[in-house]
Amino acid sequence: METKFDEMNRTLRVSLIRAKGSRPLISFLSVTLFLVMWELLPRLNLVNASYISQPSRVLTVAAEEIFHKGEFFDHLYVSFIEFSMGFILALAVGIPLGMIIGVFRKVRYLLDPPIMALWSTPMLALIPLFILWLGVGVESKLAVVFIMAVIPIIVNAVAGIREVDFPLVRAARSFCAKQRDIFIKILLPGSLPALMTGVRLGLGRAIMGMVAGEMYCSTKGLGHQLMASGQAFRMDLVVFYVSVVCLLGVSATNLMRKLETRLQRWRTTG
Amino acid sequence: MSLIRGYAALILGILSFIIILAVWELSVYLDLINPFFVSNPTAILVVLKEQIITGELFDNLSVSLVEFAVGYGAAIIVGLLLGLLIGWYKVMDYALDPFIWTLYAAPSIAFYPIFIVILGLGKPTVIAITFKLAVVLILVNTAAGIKNVDPSLIRVARSFGARRFDLFFKVALPASVPLMMAGLRLGVGRAFMGVVAAELFGSAAGLGASISYYGGLLKTSNMLASLVVVTALGVLMTTIISIIEGHFDSWRTGIGK
Repeated sequence: METKFDEMNRTLRVSLIRAKGSRPLISFLSVTLFLVMWELLPRLNLVNASYISQPSRVLTVAAEEIFHKGEFFDHLYVSFIEFSMGFILALAVGIPLGMIIGVFRKVRYLLDPPIMALWSTPMLALIPLFILWLGVGVESKLAVVFIMAVIPIIVNAVAGIREVDFPLVRAARSFCAKQRDIFIKILLPGSLPALMTGVRLGLGRAIMGMVAGEMYCSTKGLGHQLMASGQAFRMDLVVFYVSVVCLLGVSATNLMRKLETRLQRWRTTG
Repeated sequence: MSLIRGYAALILGILSFIIILAVWELSVYLDLINPFFVSNPTAILVVLKEQIITGELFDNLSVSLVEFAVGYGAAIIVGLLLGLLIGWYKVMDYALDPFIWTLYAAPSIAFYPIFIVILGLGKPTVIAITFKLAVVLILVNTAAGIKNVDPSLIRVARSFGARRFDLFFKVALPASVPLMMAGLRLGVGRAFMGVVAAELFGSAAGLGASISYYGGLLKTSNMLASLVVVTALGVLMTTIISIIEGHFDSWRTGIGK
């Protein structure tokens, strides 16, 4: 009997492990289990709901914030402005600067140490300095977003240029290619994968900078709301704003990954 | 001439720091910039010397380092163990993937108010944030290391009669060491960021707290002194972990090489 049971157990486990199609099912089950436990534990008085809140409360509060109060979209808008302006600025500065550093060796030697120092510094520590310089408004968060995003973009743009197959450049040169052609037809496509990695990393860090900057000192924005709800001990509101921020982070990262694969296809076909 | 070329990276690197410091000092000296906003290198040095004498620097440093060590240490233990389990058992992977992916893509600092409510202001919250920032990276990389083991290695081991136990300890575990180390390296930077950021938001002691405190008092020199220490510490940590990681590079096998 025992051996039979063992065998059954093993085949069950193996089939569970092997089944490739079971991924969505198991993921779905585990998320559902998590939500049910979260809802039930406070209801059964095992955990105090004021510490961990509950999905039902969060949903109620979410509906209230989004549909009944107009403020939510104000905060979202402010955060979006800070994020998008800072990030666009980081792209506009980071990509050209990184490419220049990558192409010219002397510039690289000169600028590499300060950039590396910034790269290994926890740059969120600069928030108080930016607030001192630019005030508590949008400008200081924009600066935080910029500095958080620009460093990974520069570092990866440099790495991208360095990854370009150098014999290609020499071959192009011996066929009389102009500098512009070399840049557009070899350096740019060659460095694209690393460049995109930098942009993706920068995006994640930009969102982090936006939230942290707003949490530290601000009058508006998602981070501000997050901190204010925490200080008011409103866990339902905190969980709602955390979810909003998480959702932004996840969708931005997913979008970036899609873009990355599409550009990859352009690179190999074009 | 060739000697200069050989050391060009070093010379230009030092030169760039000298230029930055000189421009900084001179622009304040010549009244081009108000020192209230940027302070100047000599004033920062004076503050640092003062803080060493009064012991303030050492106090802040030890608080931050202890928080870092506890948070990062816990992240290593949990991240490696859970990462190994997730990499090896597909069921674990499928069940935990949605949570890990969310935590991975979410800005971890946003969880700060939750920790504050549950753990209160101070060290436990700082440690929790540090842990949270580092653990996901370590876990994801460890799991990836196990999952991406060269399949031909597994096939060879199997055909020589390796059991699942052997496969794990003799093939998968050693082969995943390089990615594990990469996770640990990334985790150091993240953990240090967690310490400083969490202290910035609310803590009585530590480097981040001192930046925030002097920032509030508008004492730029003191704030920048702590910032300089944080930067130096960040560079030091990154260098150390890169050297350690380099030692494990020889564990790379097959495709990853």
